[in-house]
Amino acid sequence: MAGMDVEMRGNAIDEMLKKKRDLNPLPEPETLDDLVQGLKIIFQDNEINVEEVNEYMSKYKTNAREWYKYAKFDHHRYTRNLVDQGNGKFNLIVLCWGEGQGSGIHSHSDSHCFMKVLDGTLDETMYSWPSDSEDERELQKTETHSYGKDSVAYINDSMGLHRVENSSHTNTAVSLHLYSPPFDMVECFDQRTGHRKKVRVTFYSKFGQRTPFPDQGPTCTEQADVARTGCTSVETLEPENN
Amino acid sequence: MMYEDDVPPENRVDLAYSGLDLFPEHLSEKADRIQSLHLNNNRILVLPRAVSLFQELRHLDISANGLTHVSGELTHLPNLRTFIAKNNLLEDGALPKELGRCLSLQVLNLSGNGFMEFPEQIEGMAGLRALYFGANRLRTVPSEIKHMSRLEILYLGGNQISSLPLEVGSLSSLMSLVLCDNRLESIPPHLARLRNLRSLSLHNNRIAALPSEIIALRNLTELSLRGNPLVVNFVRDLSYDPPTLLELAGRGVKNSGIPYGEGDVPPNLYRYLSLARKCPNPKCTGVYFDARVKQIKFFCNIYA
Repeated sequence: MAGMDVEMRGNAIDEMLKKKRDLNPLPEPETLDDLVQGLKIIFQDNEINVEEVNEYMSKYKTNAREWYKYAKFDHHRYTRNLVDQGNGKFNLIVLCWGEGQGSGIHSHSDSHCFMKVLDGTLDETMYSWPSDSEDERELQKTETHSYGKDSVAYINDSMGLHRVENSSHTNTAVSLHLYSPPFDMVECFDQRTGHRKKVRVTFYSKFGQRTPFPDQGPTCTEQADVARTGCTSVETLEPENN
Repeated sequence: MMYEDDVPPENRVDLAYSGLDLFPEHLSEKADRIQSLHLNNNRILVLPRAVSLFQELRHLDISANGLTHVSGELTHLPNLRTFIAKNNLLEDGALPKELGRCLSLQVLNLSGNGFMEFPEQIEGMAGLRALYFGANRLRTVPSEIKHMSRLEILYLGGNQISSLPLEVGSLSSLMSLVLCDNRLESIPPHLARLRNLRSLSLHNNRIAALPSEIIALRNLTELSLRGNPLVVNFVRDLSYDPPTLLELAGRGVKNSGIPYGEGDVPPNLYRYLSLARKCPNPKCTGVYFDARVKQIKFFCNIYA
């Protein structure tokens, strides 16, 4: 019965949205500014139709001149460049991926996450959540996807964890991410053990201005804190067989 | 583009994706104002001698053209800082022999071509700051790379490199070293000398163990290791046959340097003491007789 209620409620919301849009259609997202305005309208409501956001973001056709000022690359890791704070309802961020750069495996803080590729190609590898048991176990890969220019992907915590990377050794990649509600912490997971750690996500630039963060702390790239923990080689003992 | 900030927009010419079949020599009429030239994604198969007409040129991008040959006249450009020729059809011998004469060159990008050998002329380029050689067919890196003392970025991802010369550790300016998607089985411990290294990309190789000294690098904040057969677990159960009392006594005598002569101990013991063997571990100054520690180096699981 609860399932039916959810479905009925979903249908009611869709009906209401349809009426709303018939009265006030969203602006065609011909430019990045149009897209931001339309997204602000969509996210005014408390109920979000994921399909609608997906379609709307797909309609915008990437134009480098419009996002060029946010496209700041770093030699050592991917960057997050804030575009808009969506009246508090979402963060719109441009991510810049140099050749071979990728994220760690992470979750999404119970938020909706949309990713649109603006340039290049991004590969996504999805993983199941680690089990609640104490066991150290390798994370299980579930799906992989490759996203080209203008494609839109969506993820939330119920779908699992993922790693996003630019696998190209010759081309950079740029993506536009929408996170709603906005968050500044993610959980980053160790592929071999399933261990997780909380990581604060920071901005490389905001509204086109570089914003260096005084002390980065751990980041959600693959293993930023490895150098700190230290490790030495270990000897085993074996009797000599004469 | 990251590198172009020193050129005002009016001195940049963008002819990317323009269906060009030939290098636009006619632009040389305005050569005194052209500092940055984008010719990527056309069908320019040869970078001709006419390129030397553009004496003010600082940045040249001729990527994705099916380029097979780069004329030596390129080296006659006194201000050339950036040369990007990625995703072309360049092979061994395609670069001008005199490329090393291009003293102003700071950034060289040859990713996505067909080089099998590291070009000799690049080895001597002591002024080069960034070298992108991803997705080619390199199998080795020459030890002469040590001459590239200003190198800050070295991108070698996506090749077939199976080992690195220890001389890579001499590149003291190196901040970013990318070696992912290769065939490396080990990393020379000399890389621990790279005090300025901030990022090291090693994912998708065949590395079984990492030299522990790498961890000491204070500036290293980005390190990727996934997709390597790094041994995962500590060997937890250490079961072994303990040395005999005779062995322990013998070690005690030898390690403490207790002086003894033939008459001081029974002949069988004297003979026994003469059999002491030096421990193979260079850090250990001890000796052993029968029970020996067999060293297996492996790598702990703090790393993902």
